Amino acid sequence: MYYINGSSTISHQASFRNPGFAKNMQPLAKGSEVVKPDYKEFIDAKLIRRMSQILRMSIATSVDCLAQANEKNAGAIVVGTGLGCLQDTEKFLQTIKTVEGLIPPTSFIQSTHNTISGQISLVLGNHNYNMTHTQNSLSFERALEDATLLLDEGTDNVLIGAADEAIPVLDTFAKNLGHHNEDLTSGATFLSLSNKRAKSGKVIIEACEANGRVEKHHEHLKHFLERNEVAFGDMDLILSIAPISDENTEIKAIDITKYSGQYLTNAAFAVQVAIDLISNRSHSFASINNQSPIKRVLVYNNLIPGNLGLTLLRSIEA
Amino acid sequence: MGVAITGIGAISAIGNTVESNLACLLNGQTGIATANLLKHPKPILTGEVKLTNSAIKEKLDLPDTPNSRTALLGMMAAKEAWGKNIARPDLRTGIISSTSVGGMDITEQYYLDLVASKAIDKQLIYTHDSGNTTERIADLLGISGYINTLSTACSSAANSIMLGARLIEQGKLDRVLVGGTDALTSFTVNGFGSLMIYDSEWCRPFDKTRAGLNLGEAAGFILLESEKSLAVTGNKVLCELTGWCNAADAYHQTASSPDGKGATLAIKGALAKAQVRAEQISYVNAHGTGTKNNDLSESTALINVFGKTVPPFSSTKAFTGHTLAAAGAIEAVYSVLAITEGICLPNLNYNTPLEETGLAPVTQVTKAEVKHVLSNSFGFGGNNSSLVFSKASL
Repeated sequence: MYYINGSSTISHQASFRNPGFAKNMQPLAKGSEVVKPDYKEFIDAKLIRRMSQILRMSIATSVDCLAQANEKNAGAIVVGTGLGCLQDTEKFLQTIKTVEGLIPPTSFIQSTHNTISGQISLVLGNHNYNMTHTQNSLSFERALEDATLLLDEGTDNVLIGAADEAIPVLDTFAKNLGHHNEDLTSGATFLSLSNKRAKSGKVIIEACEANGRVEKHHEHLKHFLERNEVAFGDMDLILSIAPISDENTEIKAIDITKYSGQYLTNAAFAVQVAIDLISNRSHSFASINNQSPIKRVLVYNNLIPGNLGLTLLRSIEA
Repeated sequence: MGVAITGIGAISAIGNTVESNLACLLNGQTGIATANLLKHPKPILTGEVKLTNSAIKEKLDLPDTPNSRTALLGMMAAKEAWGKNIARPDLRTGIISSTSVGGMDITEQYYLDLVASKAIDKQLIYTHDSGNTTERIADLLGISGYINTLSTACSSAANSIMLGARLIEQGKLDRVLVGGTDALTSFTVNGFGSLMIYDSEWCRPFDKTRAGLNLGEAAGFILLESEKSLAVTGNKVLCELTGWCNAADAYHQTASSPDGKGATLAIKGALAKAQVRAEQISYVNAHGTGTKNNDLSESTALINVFGKTVPPFSSTKAFTGHTLAAAGAIEAVYSVLAITEGICLPNLNYNTPLEETGLAPVTQVTKAEVKHVLSNSFGFGGNNSSLVFSKASL
């Protein structure tokens, strides 16, 4: 039983510091942009200038998340990112390909995937466990599994999150791969997870599991639910990352990518939507209308065929 | 009781197998030389693996389709560590690799074409992401399910090993192949150049005159097994992983703190986890990159933990170059060898101690009864990890 005592998301939706945002959220229009907060409220103005979008989003949501949980610091920092710090990576790549002689190191320094977790530790002055998982579409779930492992080992108050950023050249990548209609977006979500419930905690993570190179998604889901003693009918809502192509008609899911746009860790956005719907006792989302408030949600991450991430959340009251 | 290690695999500038790596370590023969395979505008010293991509594909019996060098090196080492083991439904098997560059060796070749909107072979594009390198290694060995990749710069592989041990300790997996891989790239060679810490001469870890690192490329893997798994596989236990700890320095994005705070926390945490007292450590395989900053900070951390009696220690990076995300993995293999062969490994190119600490590393292969080895890996982002390897069932 893992309590979510704080959660924060910056995305292309008005998700940041906006409780209840999910209920009436609309699918993204083409060419949408990140809904940016005033970063100066969360990050030292001197530092912001050098920070790429992924760092700004990650630090602001981390700081906000801890504030919600009423925690000064974290027992551990765990981050998942599918493609890491793309803006700085591309900037340095561009530099070495086009500039001769002395080249500035800043973008190289900030190009490593763990710049995100490292910068959070610097901002918080945090000396604890600091980890970065990068398993393309399962990066968020791998980080979340690590966080639950830490909680089981006795570390408390784990700050766990996921972030990815889109850069213009990604569209060229996507076109080369034959994807012409994808809306590539950016987002960051951080959660404050604990073995103990804080006043702010209204939702728990019941279980999280991810598997790579799996063929029969539905079988995995069935076993996952069995292990956690949950029946199909116990789920009020399934948020999937891609349309579900499964003969099983029991699965009625909303494709969350229509709302977040596509990035490799948007399952974390789906988790934020679930938290927001459950905490605000919403009855409906998109085409799903329930008699009673939504209490249990499954985030079904099927973005890449063969990779399956399953995250089960429920209301503390349930 | 720690977690059993039953398989090891390594490929680096000093050899394509564990056996050939050991031979060079015993002979004091470095693998660092002027770069041959990596195209660089001027001569540069690197620790290259002496096999072309085509040669590796041939050895692995792979089709000549795009594959990042990072994945190919990883396959070589993972296959050696995996040995004759087979995937089986009664054992939950996982793989955790680590890399800092992923498929950058491929991406940096076609990037300008991509920006110019030229059509690129999509098989090339798929090689880019770090997670993909691990999936390809998993595919080669028939491992599915728990496939994961960590990326914490130069401490990455130590963290993979640590995560694997935790998953076994918590009963989530029965056995797990853990390690890391990184190919040489223009990206990283230029990156460390831009930081002014790329030595144009052979790197000199822990020497007063040290002036930076030489990059290398490598991959290393070790197979961790639970007692349940051992009962099924009957594999021989080489030694055990008994201690691990990761801590953040939280000092600077790239530089290590002068007081070695993060490193000290990691070493102390690993010893505590292993329930080993400082004086019981027989040998320390240090991070020892050869940069002014790391070697001083690490020496300070060693003194913080061990006081006046720092155990025999050395950095093996003057053999292999700094292999970034693979460093913790090949050095884990070397730590296992230190125990199984009963040796402390030499630190090449050392003459004069650091004025600040006066510490002198081991410079010759030294026979010893090695019971516990401490291995350090420290990375960008202040990411510090230490592991303790122990003789089986001590």
